Amino acid sequence: MSAVRPTPTQQEKVLNDEDFIVSKTDLRGIITYGNRVFIGISGYEESELLGAPHNILRHPDMPRVVFKLLWDTIQAGREINAYVKNLAKDGSFYWVFANITPAFDERGAVSGYYSVRRKPKAAAIETFTGIYRAMLEAERRAGGGQAAMKASQALLEQTLQEKGVSYDEFVLGV
Amino acid sequence: MTNLSLGSRIHLLAGVAFLLYVAFAFLGFRAAGANGWMITLMTLSVVVFILMLYTLHRIQVALARITARMEEAAGGNLAGRITGIRKGAATEAAAWALNDLLDQVEAYFRETNAAFEHAQKGLTFRKAMTSGLHGAFRQSLERVNVSVEAMADSQRLVQKERLLARVGELSAVNLVKDLKTIQDFLVAQNQDMRVVANLSRETAEEAEASTAGIQAIVADLNRVIDLIDSTHGQITQIHEKSSEIQQIIQVITEVADKTNLLALNAAIEAAHAGEAGKGFAVVAEEVRTLSENTKDAAASIAASIGSFGLATTRMMNDAGHMKEIADTSRSAITEFAGQFQRFSESARTSLAQVTRAQDKGFTSLVKVDHFVFKQNGYRTLQAGLDSAEAKAARTDHHQCRLGLWYEQGEGKKAFGQLACYDRLALPHARVHGNVHAAMGLLNERWESDPALQEDVVAAFQAAEQASDEVMDALDCMVTERHGG
Repeated sequence: MSAVRPTPTQQEKVLNDEDFIVSKTDLRGIITYGNRVFIGISGYEESELLGAPHNILRHPDMPRVVFKLLWDTIQAGREINAYVKNLAKDGSFYWVFANITPAFDERGAVSGYYSVRRKPKAAAIETFTGIYRAMLEAERRAGGGQAAMKASQALLEQTLQEKGVSYDEFVLGV
Repeated sequence: MTNLSLGSRIHLLAGVAFLLYVAFAFLGFRAAGANGWMITLMTLSVVVFILMLYTLHRIQVALARITARMEEAAGGNLAGRITGIRKGAATEAAAWALNDLLDQVEAYFRETNAAFEHAQKGLTFRKAMTSGLHGAFRQSLERVNVSVEAMADSQRLVQKERLLARVGELSAVNLVKDLKTIQDFLVAQNQDMRVVANLSRETAEEAEASTAGIQAIVADLNRVIDLIDSTHGQITQIHEKSSEIQQIIQVITEVADKTNLLALNAAIEAAHAGEAGKGFAVVAEEVRTLSENTKDAAASIAASIGSFGLATTRMMNDAGHMKEIADTSRSAITEFAGQFQRFSESARTSLAQVTRAQDKGFTSLVKVDHFVFKQNGYRTLQAGLDSAEAKAARTDHHQCRLGLWYEQGEGKKAFGQLACYDRLALPHARVHGNVHAAMGLLNERWESDPALQEDVVAAFQAAEQASDEVMDALDCMVTERHGG
């Protein structure tokens, strides 16, 4: 399903405190399930979401290396937590705190991914807006491709090093 | 009919209703005859019936899907969801409610697993995220977080204890090593001290024996000086007598000279007398010859006595020198005797000090022996009952160095009569006994049995207390033997 990316607007949607977005994808990131909160906030119909790549929600303000980190981690069978700015069908954006875990089949192989998104803390949004902006800037300056990824990742690692924490600890503690 | 499932029952009831309707229509046709309205109505009713049955079928299919997901979930597979839910369908709400339930349950399990898996690796910052979970799910996750916090606490404690144990182990191993170095040093020093003590004893005894010899020499020398003194006196007397003899010889020589002159005068007178004086002249000549002889004899005596005087003068000088030398020797040897006396005394003092140092050295050694013995007892907790440490800690109080020393060795000889000696045996036996008792408690349960651990600690404490008493008794013995 080749969705035409909506044009982003400055309109923000804010999750309710107890909103609980759930979605599932197959190994390629194709959506196989989304709950009603997901359908509601993304603005897509269930039928539009099912079979679509999860990255139809990807906002252009997000650095690409974040998704690389995300995929590298869950493909290695580990969970990842990340603050993500998502793009709704109507062009508005909404911030989530995403937790993505691999799903395993009976033989213990990764069979898909399970993602829960919650309302992020306002302070965390502020922090990551700044970090992502700098990373995105680094990616643009590097001109894309591997160099952009490297520059952006180096910036993230430098930030973590300055704070003296691991990525997980930082994301969960911010 | 009650045995039939709901779906089948609805189908059956619908079928019966349809048959009744067909029967009713048939009777209606028969009574009133068929007309256009009736046919249209009947056709519509049949269509409605078919639609109703189709709807029923769809509900059944949806219910079957819901049931299948629920059965999967009951079987522990929470992954499945119902998708493609039609808006407005009779089962829409039920399907979403089931999805929501499964989302809650699956998220609950994933959060629980994530929190515990991280906590197990010590990453206790990864708490279960409760946001979005409801009611019992949320309460349970909150409880999980309390457990994770408790795990973090106990992990910190375990880490700390592990570090303490490792450092303790390191220190214990090195302590025994260090103590063994000191032990070896003290053993060597004890042997050296024994040699020094023996040398000191020999020196003191020889000095004492030599002091008596020197005093005998001083007495002999005094006798020699006395003899020289009396010899000197006698020689002086002889010298004085030889002067007297010289004077007597002078008198004899003068008498002989005068006799010679008289004989000469007599010979002249005899010649004057002629023949009558011839006999007298002979006598006068004889007298003159006699006086000449006398004079010669006196001169040779005088010469002899002269050389005799020279000899006695020399003898007197020599005797004077001898006396001076003997006097100097006497004062030198008297001083030497005094020095030797002092030397003998200091040899005795140093023997006492060496013996005291030897005793102190030995008590230090047995103290270290006991440190090592206790450490071996402690190390058994780590190293186990089959270890070299355990073997070393099984020595009893008769066989250890201290036991051998005070029961049958030098200790009994040197200290046996002292009051403090009697204070040693009992606490010493208790040191060994309590360490053995502690080791005896180390059965297969001790690591998990707190009561047993208490007993082990108590036994070691008793050993430490007894050990303190042993140290006191040893110090007391040394003080009692040598003074403060």
